[in-house]
Amino acid sequence: MLRPEEAQRPFTVTELANEIKRELRPLTALLVKGEVSGMKRGAKGHYGFAIKDGQSLINGFLYADDARRVTTLPEDGQVFVFRGRVDFWPQYGTVRFVVDQIEFDDVGKLRARLEELKRRLEAEGAFAAGRKRRLPFLPRAVALLTSPTGAVIHDLQETIWERYPNMGVVVYPVQVQGAAAPMSVARALRRCNQEQLADVIVLARGGGSFEELYAFNTELVARAILESRLPVVTALGHTSDRTVADLVGDAECRTPTEAGARVVPKKSDLLLQLHERGRRLDREITQRVARAADRLMNKKQRLVLLLPALVRQRVERLARAATELGRLSPLAQVARREEALRDRGRRLNSAAATRLARSRNELAKRRAADRLDRALTERFGAALQGLEHRRQRLVALSPDGVLSRGYSITQDAESGAVLRSSAETAANRRVQIRLGAGRVGARVDEVES
Amino acid sequence: MSEELTYEQALEKLDEKLKLLEDGDLSLEDALKAVDQARIYLKVCTDRLEVARKKIEIRAEPESTES
Repeated sequence: MLRPEEAQRPFTVTELANEIKRELRPLTALLVKGEVSGMKRGAKGHYGFAIKDGQSLINGFLYADDARRVTTLPEDGQVFVFRGRVDFWPQYGTVRFVVDQIEFDDVGKLRARLEELKRRLEAEGAFAAGRKRRLPFLPRAVALLTSPTGAVIHDLQETIWERYPNMGVVVYPVQVQGAAAPMSVARALRRCNQEQLADVIVLARGGGSFEELYAFNTELVARAILESRLPVVTALGHTSDRTVADLVGDAECRTPTEAGARVVPKKSDLLLQLHERGRRLDREITQRVARAADRLMNKKQRLVLLLPALVRQRVERLARAATELGRLSPLAQVARREEALRDRGRRLNSAAATRLARSRNELAKRRAADRLDRALTERFGAALQGLEHRRQRLVALSPDGVLSRGYSITQDAESGAVLRSSAETAANRRVQIRLGAGRVGARVDEVES
Repeated sequence: MSEELTYEQALEKLDEKLKLLEDGDLSLEDALKAVDQARIYLKVCTDRLEVARKKIEIRAEPESTES
């Protein structure tokens, strides 16, 4: 602290500025209520504005980091309660109120504005059950819009993977609180719809006060949800009233765990269902085939029972037909006639033989012995007569007769030729001379002609 | 035909075939055909359950000009 008596030399401006800064240090964590005007956004994301009460004015300043955290941004003409500290900017010589938290001065008024928004949306039919999109039965993946830092991601992921171990989760980190939250949420909703990486969106945050949930009561977020093609499930915590986001969303859950169960079916249930259907299919086809086989077996048995009767009938008919055919067949007829002929032939033969035998017998009887003898005698007599006659002729013709009368026959001894002329022999040739009784051998002495 | 079906659609088709089999007076041939088709839908359903891949993907917001 400066004391005039110790001021042995003048301060430099910087020393004074530092002194002022030090003096202002206790003015920290102050609450200031005032109306905003001249709200401006700086290049680095900070905001500058005036806070006034009709008589006085102080410059307010909101750093970019704090701007992202605060529930709401200052708005011209609105009264807020600011929390912050007083600071001195030596380079400009100005005093500013550096804001780190902003609250609506009149929550009642804010609620009134919210009610007005709800009425408007309801009049448009934004809350109508018929407008709500159906959640997919089995999404390919789940989009999760939430703060990247909260426990929500972990809770939801755990629930989803416990129910469905291979489900995909796509996280879109958003600011769920602060002035930038509505825009952040709206942008992420649009990206989800553009990228189509998931089939359902879960919009979650881990609860909060009415002011903390401010973003989910803005028209910006409500419109983004309404425009979404993908169904949106809200899970904004169980500590607050229903937000506009809950009202326009397609399904409303309190916690991320509840939302996880809502958007993802239990895989084991599905498998069980499919298994059960597979069993029904098996049973159905087994029964059907068995029934068909039974019917077939039944028919077969009836056939087996019927068959002998059928066959017997046919066999009998066949036999009759064969007999008939045999009777009528030309071959059989010929054979029969032949047989008849043979029969007659046999009968004829036998009759003839009988008759012959009878005739023979009769003949034999008629030929009496005397008759036979007489015939024989007659025949012998004739034969003897013939014989004598021939003997007499033979005697008459035989040379022996001539010879007995003194003639002889000379024959060449060698050739046996009868000599009828002297020329037929030669001297010294041997001759044989046949006489009336006996023969003489001689030699020719001389030949005279 | 089964390529574009979602799990739910395939399940619906499967149930149709099952109902047909259980209630309907199908000939054995038609029943076998229905069973074949039902099996295809059953497979589609089973396949669909495995299509998703367990992974967590973070789609960070593109760098904003505001901060």
